[in-house]
Amino acid sequence: MKQINAVLEGFGSTVLLLVRALSYVGTLPRQWHRFIEHCYLIGYTTLPIVAILSFFIGSVLALQAGYSMENFGAKQFIGTLVGLSMARELGPVMVAILLAGRVGSAITAELASMKVYQEVDALETMNIPPARMLVLPRLAAVLVMMPVLAIIGDLVGWYGGALISNYTHTIAIGPEAYFSALRRFTKFTDVMNGLMKAELFGFGIVLVCCSIGLNTRGGPREIGASVTRAVVTSLILILVLDYFVTKILT
Amino acid sequence: MNNAQQTARVGLFFLLGLALIWVAFETLSDGKVFKDRGYTLIAGFESLKELKVGDEVRMAGVRIGSVEQTRLAGRRAEAVLRIDPGVRIASDATGSIVMAGIIGTDYIGIDLGTTTAPMLEPGSEIHTIASLDLNSVMAQIGKLGTKLDDALGGLSDSLKGKDGKPGLFQKIDTLVGENGEKITATVSNLQEVSAKLNRGEGTLGKLINDPKLHDDLLATVGDIKTAAGEAKTFMANAQSIVDEVKSGKGALGMLVYDEATANNVRVSVKNVRDVSDKIARGEGTLGKLINDDSLFTEAKGTLKKADRAIDSLDDNGPINALGIVAKSLF
Repeated sequence: MKQINAVLEGFGSTVLLLVRALSYVGTLPRQWHRFIEHCYLIGYTTLPIVAILSFFIGSVLALQAGYSMENFGAKQFIGTLVGLSMARELGPVMVAILLAGRVGSAITAELASMKVYQEVDALETMNIPPARMLVLPRLAAVLVMMPVLAIIGDLVGWYGGALISNYTHTIAIGPEAYFSALRRFTKFTDVMNGLMKAELFGFGIVLVCCSIGLNTRGGPREIGASVTRAVVTSLILILVLDYFVTKILT
Repeated sequence: MNNAQQTARVGLFFLLGLALIWVAFETLSDGKVFKDRGYTLIAGFESLKELKVGDEVRMAGVRIGSVEQTRLAGRRAEAVLRIDPGVRIASDATGSIVMAGIIGTDYIGIDLGTTTAPMLEPGSEIHTIASLDLNSVMAQIGKLGTKLDDALGGLSDSLKGKDGKPGLFQKIDTLVGENGEKITATVSNLQEVSAKLNRGEGTLGKLINDPKLHDDLLATVGDIKTAAGEAKTFMANAQSIVDEVKSGKGALGMLVYDEATANNVRVSVKNVRDVSDKIARGEGTLGKLINDDSLFTEAKGTLKKADRAIDSLDDNGPINALGIVAKSLF
């Protein structure tokens, strides 16, 4: 009961934080520098790991698909499988998981530290709402950066699959055949669906991580606990949200 | 890092994202990601069946390109093949649509052609042949099944009977029922015969069971073989004689093949015929001797006289007797 109450409390505080942050949208132009800084942290610095991870996810997907589909003469559809999987599911989800691990944990750690060391209290004392200064720029930044990361993840994954399909002896599907199969069944709407999912995931991750960070109570030890809780909650949120969003978008 | 630099990087990153979204849009909307390599060939078919853009083109099982485009051209379908650079195809090579899997994956298979034929130029048309697809095979199997069904139905009707007519089984049943005693008797006879055969009774039984008969049979066969050998020798000799006759050697050969001898024989035969005719007509001494019985009668009388004269002669010498006989004869 206590745990359910805690979950509901966390859910409620997150929704309230969102409402408060959105109420300060008009102040966003004045926080341009913060917005750019968070864009840099969320997007630019996450790019290398997203590219590496997506490349190998696409490659492994092509490799496994080639291994299994060869048995019934469907190697030509590797492009279709990799294209649709990356665009609709793996691209957004993997980028979101990376974001949760790399950015979400950092956000929670930073806000929890500020909360523990009473910096947040100081801001409130100065009549600076934390939702406006600490949450809104991050939410805006993730909304802008998440589609960029997701589309990079998609394309890098596609090209990783194409590269593996071309140069793996047992698959030997050329780029023309690969992308032809990819184009035949993968529509631009599939990519857009994936980008929308990524947007939702990113927004949810940042919101949850901010909320958990700002709700940290106690000493420095709680910072680590908050970070762990934030990452775990983000991962669960990604997968649960993924199911419902996929259900809605399909 | 100052703010300007950070802003520039974020802006660049955002633009990169927009550019990639555009690339994705182009890729999925017939945009070209890779430049076309190699050259194209046209392959015309009555039907492309399950062939799709991107399907493989294989030569002797090795992938050499892919189907770039499928289109209708008048009363036929055409596939534009993108062949890898460096792969040359002989002008007498033949392409056909080959089924690679049962879930609708086809490819175009091209044979090697001959080494003496000139190579196909880019953009030219490759010779194609139609091939059976799974649907055609299934349709044929379906027809075969119908025929088999009809045949089995006919067989079933003939066995079971139809329209009140008794079938084969019923006829056999009736036959067996009506002739049961005869069949039983025949079977018992057959059993008896086989038992006798087994016991070695009768000629056939001895033939089967008696080894002496077997040996005699073998000896007879040996004799027949010997006789056949002798007959062979005889035939060889006869053949040599015939050959000699044919070659005109010997009396028979001359008689058959020498014209002069033949004429002589003809003349001789004619003379003999003339003589026999004269004899028959009673001409000449011999003819009279044969045909005229007066000579016989006279001779008989003379002999009687001679007999009496001999009897009358007592002590006359043989010379006188001979003189008397000769006088009475002539």
